[in-house]
Amino acid sequence: MKRLSNIFGGRRNLTFSGLLFFLLSIFLLDWLVFERILEPFVYFCLFFALLIIFYGIYPLYTNRRLTRYYWDRTKKHRLAVIGLAFIIFLVAVALFGPLLTQDPTKVDFKNKYLPPAGFSAEQSLYDRNTGQLITTETPGTWFHPLGTDDKGRDMLAMLVSGTRISLQVGLMATLIAIFIGLILGVVSAYLGGWVDNALMRFTDIMMTFPFFLLLVFIVFIFGPSLWFIILAIGLTGWTGAARLVRSETLSLRTRDFIMASKSLGASDRRIVFRHLIPNVLSSVIVIATLSIPGVILAEAALSFIGLGDPTVTSWGLVLHAGQRSLDTAWWIAVEPGIMLFLTVLAFNFLGDGIRDAFDPRSQI
Amino acid sequence: MKAYFFTRLGVVKAVDGVSFGLRKGECLCLVGESGCGKTATALSILRLIDSPPGRIVGGEIRYHGEDLLRSPASRLRQIRGNRIAMIFQDPQSSLNPVFTVGDQIMEPIRLHLKLGKRPARERALSLMKQVGIPQAKERMKYYPHQFSGGMKQRVMIAAALSCDPEILIADEPTTALDTTIKAQILDIFRDLKRERNMSILFITHDLGTVAGIADRIIVMYGGRVAEAGSALDIFDQPKHPYTWGLLNCLPTVSERREKLSPIPGTIPSLIDPPEGCIFYPRCQWRMPVCPQKRPEEFVISGEHIAACYLYA
Repeated sequence: MKRLSNIFGGRRNLTFSGLLFFLLSIFLLDWLVFERILEPFVYFCLFFALLIIFYGIYPLYTNRRLTRYYWDRTKKHRLAVIGLAFIIFLVAVALFGPLLTQDPTKVDFKNKYLPPAGFSAEQSLYDRNTGQLITTETPGTWFHPLGTDDKGRDMLAMLVSGTRISLQVGLMATLIAIFIGLILGVVSAYLGGWVDNALMRFTDIMMTFPFFLLLVFIVFIFGPSLWFIILAIGLTGWTGAARLVRSETLSLRTRDFIMASKSLGASDRRIVFRHLIPNVLSSVIVIATLSIPGVILAEAALSFIGLGDPTVTSWGLVLHAGQRSLDTAWWIAVEPGIMLFLTVLAFNFLGDGIRDAFDPRSQI
Repeated sequence: MKAYFFTRLGVVKAVDGVSFGLRKGECLCLVGESGCGKTATALSILRLIDSPPGRIVGGEIRYHGEDLLRSPASRLRQIRGNRIAMIFQDPQSSLNPVFTVGDQIMEPIRLHLKLGKRPARERALSLMKQVGIPQAKERMKYYPHQFSGGMKQRVMIAAALSCDPEILIADEPTTALDTTIKAQILDIFRDLKRERNMSILFITHDLGTVAGIADRIIVMYGGRVAEAGSALDIFDQPKHPYTWGLLNCLPTVSERREKLSPIPGTIPSLIDPPEGCIFYPRCQWRMPVCPQKRPEEFVISGEHIAACYLYA
C-alpha cells in the first residue's frame, strides 16, 4: 500500500486515481452494457467535480491560511464573486435543470410564439371560419414562463438544455486545449534546442490559420456532431496557452530552485512535474478561465450559422431560429442572447479575479 | 578539469585545468573574484553545467575512485543530494515558491532514502532544529515567502544535509546574507565539519569569510589555480601576487590602514585568454617570461603551490 502510494506520489493521487478508475469503469459499463442510462455530460461533471475536490478544495481545506489569503484577495473583486456565483448557478442548472423542465424538443403548434409570462404579444391567427387573418393579443402563461418558439417548444427548457451544451463545450474543449498547451509549452521550453524550435514553429503555423475558418472547415469535413465540435475547438485552441506556458517555463527554468533541485538528485521528469508545472499552473488556470467564454461563443457561432450539432438544443441554435422572427417574437432571440452575454461576462469576471488573486505583483 | 562554455562570441574557458583533492572532514575553500570560475568548478563536479552552452571538455572527477564524468545520468542522480550535496548562493530563489519548506526538505529524503512520509517528516523536523530554525514543527508548513533570507538559507542547508552527504559544496552560501546571519551560518558549517566529519567545498569571493573555517585554500584566477595551500600558508606567507592583492583588499581590525588597496584593472575576458600568465596584465611584478608561457604550479613547500614565475 505504501509502495503504491509512493508510485502515485502520495495518498491523495492514489485515491484520486482509484476513484477515477471507478468512474471510468461505471461509465464503460453504462456505455457498453446498459445502453447509456446517464448522459456523458453527467460523467464529465463527476470527473470535473473529483478534480476540483481533490486538487482544489482539499488543498484549500487543509491549508486554511492560504485559503483565507486567496479568498480575501478574490473577495475584493466583487464582480469576480458575482461571476463565480453565477457560474455555480449555471452548473446547477446544467446538472439538475433538465430533470425539472419540459422536453425541449417537444413541438406544440397550438402554443407557438407564446411570450414570456407577464408579457403579451400580438399574434396573427388565420381564422378558419371567416378565412381572414385576425390579430389577437396573446398573454404569456406560467406554463411556459419564458415563452415558446416558432414551433411551440418551451423556451425555458431549451435554454436549460443550452446551458448544459455550452458548459460542456466550454469546459471540455478548454480542458483539451489547456492540456495540450501545457504539455507542449513545458516540454518545448524545458528541452529547448531543436525540439523547442520545431514545436514553436508548429504553434506559429497553427496561429496563422484563422481559428474560426479552420473550425468551420473541420466541422464541414467531419460532420456536425457535438463531440467533434468539442474536439475541433480543443485541438485548435491550444496555441495561446502553449506560448504562455513556454515563456513562463523559460523564465522558471533559469531560477535557482531548479538547479538546486537537480543538485539534490531530482530527475527531469520530477523537475517538470513537481517544479515546473505547479509553478505555471496559476497562469494556466487564469488563461483557462479566460478562454472558456471564447469557446462558448465559438460553439454558439457555429450553431448560429448552421454548422452546429442539429440534434442538440444549444443557445446558438435557438438564436438562429429566433432571428427570423425578431420583429414579432423578440424573446426567442433575446433570451439565449442574454444567457450567452451573462455567461461570457461571468467567466471573464471570474478570470480577472483569479488572475489578480494569483498574481503577487498586482495589488488590489 | 576543464569546463568550457561555447558561446556565440567564442569559447569561454571558465575552468581551465583546475585540479584539487578534497579529504574527508576537510574544509577546502575556493577563493577568487567574480567570474574567475569558482561556481563553474563547483557545478562541474556534479555535472550541473547547462549544456548548451557549457561542456566539460576534459579531465576527470573522481569520487571514491569513480569517475563522475563517465557515470551514467542515473548514477549521477543517486549521488547528487545523497552523497554530494550543494548549497547555492541566493536563498531567495533556491526554494520552490509553491511548496512548503517542509516538503522541500523532505524531497531528497524521500528520493534517496526511500522513507515514507512520516519518518521523512520526522527527519526533516530534526534537521530543521539542527540548523537552528526555531518552532520547526509549525514552520515546516510555511511557504518560502514567509521566511527571511537567513532562514531560507538554513532550509537549503537542511535540505542539503538531509541524506547525510559526505561532501557538501557550498557556493557562496553567505554572500546574500547580512553579517550577523553570516556568522551564524558559518557556525553551522563549522559544527558540521566537527560533528559529522563532513568534507566541505566552500566557495567565496571573500577571504575574510574563509579565515574561520578553511583548512586549505585554493585561490583561483581566470579559471586557473593561482595559489593553493593550507589556510596558514595563504594567510601568513602568501606567494602569488594575486593573493597579495586579495589580502590587501581586506579590512583588518589590528592594523590601521589609510586606504584599502584594490587590485588595479579588471578580470580578463576568458574568451581567448592571453598566452602566458593570465594575471600578467594586472600584475605589478611582471617579468619578460610572464606573457610567453603559462606558468606551471611551482611547489613552495609541501602542499603550498603558486603558479607564478617568481618561484621558478
